[in-house]
Amino acid sequence: MLIDALMLGIVAGIGILDGRIFGVMMLERPLVTGLLVGLVLGDVKSGIMIGAQLELIWMGIAGIGASTPPDVVTGGVLGTAFAILSGHGVAVALALAVPIAVLAQSLGVLVRIMNGYFLHKADKYAEDANFRGVTLMMWVPPILFFLSVFLPTFLAILMGAKEVTALINAVPKTILDGLTIAGNLLPAIGFALLLDMLFSKKMVVFFFLGFLAASYLKLDITAIALFGTCLAIIIYVVMNRDEKSSNTQAGPNDFDNLTEGEIDFE
Amino acid sequence: MSEAKITKKELRQVFWRSFALQGAFNYERMQNLGYTYAMIPVIRKLYRNHDEQVSALKRHLEMFNTTPVVAPAIMGISAAMEEQNANDPNFDETSINAVKASLMGPLAGIGDSLFWGTFRVIAAGIGISFAQQGNILGPILFFLLYNIPNFLVKIFGLQFGYQVGVNSLERIQKQGLMDRIMSITTTIGLVVVGGMVATMLNVTTPLKFDINGAKVVIQDILDKILPNMLPLLVTFIIYYLMKKKVSITWLTVGILIAGILLHWVKIL
Repeated sequence: MLIDALMLGIVAGIGILDGRIFGVMMLERPLVTGLLVGLVLGDVKSGIMIGAQLELIWMGIAGIGASTPPDVVTGGVLGTAFAILSGHGVAVALALAVPIAVLAQSLGVLVRIMNGYFLHKADKYAEDANFRGVTLMMWVPPILFFLSVFLPTFLAILMGAKEVTALINAVPKTILDGLTIAGNLLPAIGFALLLDMLFSKKMVVFFFLGFLAASYLKLDITAIALFGTCLAIIIYVVMNRDEKSSNTQAGPNDFDNLTEGEIDFE
Repeated sequence: MSEAKITKKELRQVFWRSFALQGAFNYERMQNLGYTYAMIPVIRKLYRNHDEQVSALKRHLEMFNTTPVVAPAIMGISAAMEEQNANDPNFDETSINAVKASLMGPLAGIGDSLFWGTFRVIAAGIGISFAQQGNILGPILFFLLYNIPNFLVKIFGLQFGYQVGVNSLERIQKQGLMDRIMSITTTIGLVVVGGMVATMLNVTTPLKFDINGAKVVIQDILDKILPNMLPLLVTFIIYYLMKKKVSITWLTVGILIAGILLHWVKIL
């Protein structure tokens, strides 16, 4: 268990550093951490499937602007790990991942506050043109970020695995089944957030087009994405070419709604 | 004195350093330390004089916040302007930060909707559809489909920003290229989200009635009117509540409770 706890802590650490020093390569998303947790615990298939469901649930969670979103890293890693360890699957993953993500968020906030100290030190080094000092102050915070997810994950797996599994086994079946139902409903939040980001009134029809193509024609997502690409190219490239004049860009100017809407993440 | 000039070597360093943009994120000035860190190779190369180095460092330690994917483009522009500043004594230093400040907002808007709102959604939609069957292609496709455009925009953004400078983005804007790319990707994004609502939001009702001996299965009736009607309905209810300023945390808690209760009374 010690090795597992250590490895899972590192998986979480990689996840949190993704948005910090790896330039946001999606290593923090549950779909990826789910795979890694599955590899560590020797159940890749479950890891991937649980990761997929958590990915859906957190589809819309974004670190946009200055807001600090729920920590999908600690939540995702611990939720997936406990689900695999207890053998209960998605219901458990979600019951644990969602609250853990909200709790762990506060650690992220704490680190961001502490970083203010290193910023002021960097200001001082800048006065002396001390490049090495500024660089050092830049590299301490990532260590704090790493620890802010490594320690909770490591400790929770090391000390809590037995207790959490026992606790889960004590939960009545109706509640667990209800949680599975809730887990099926939760992705709606992510979809609604995406709609808020993508909607401008003239474009609503494309949402329905995708919905209807899947509902009636039973197309899968890859097919829908490919047809959607062709459709978009037909509309914006092929058809626009005929009127090459200055008014080709009619329409796309009402995009001010495209960035994140006024949604409260707290 | 010969002209101070940035070479490929410095630009390559800026590129790799740009990945650590949010490494020292703080609430006071956000990504400033990461930005400065990325600009250090440029500053070292261009300025030999102590005072010039100090003012360059302090300049980039000012507040900065944008979407990481567009940061290299802005860094390219900053590098080009620093180069001008190093060679032209009449150059207005304050314009470097003015340009940064004027670009970070609009570019973040474009970057977020392109990458967070669209590429990620398409990549995740395809990835999840494989991953739900436990197929390892799921996470792999997700990773590749997102990161190929991610790296391309970062690499070409930096080069383009440096070579064409401040005018580059204005020029793109004038040609309407950006608008067109946005329209195309938003369209694909919406089509995919529509498909995901239909295929990945698994909401059905087990409700059944006995009316004079005839069994009425509610789900069958709903499917005849519009398949996947319940997922669509749930999505729009949540969307409506968000517009009414209900916070995400409350929505999550509400759905957890509603899921358990509705299952308990056998509606879902």
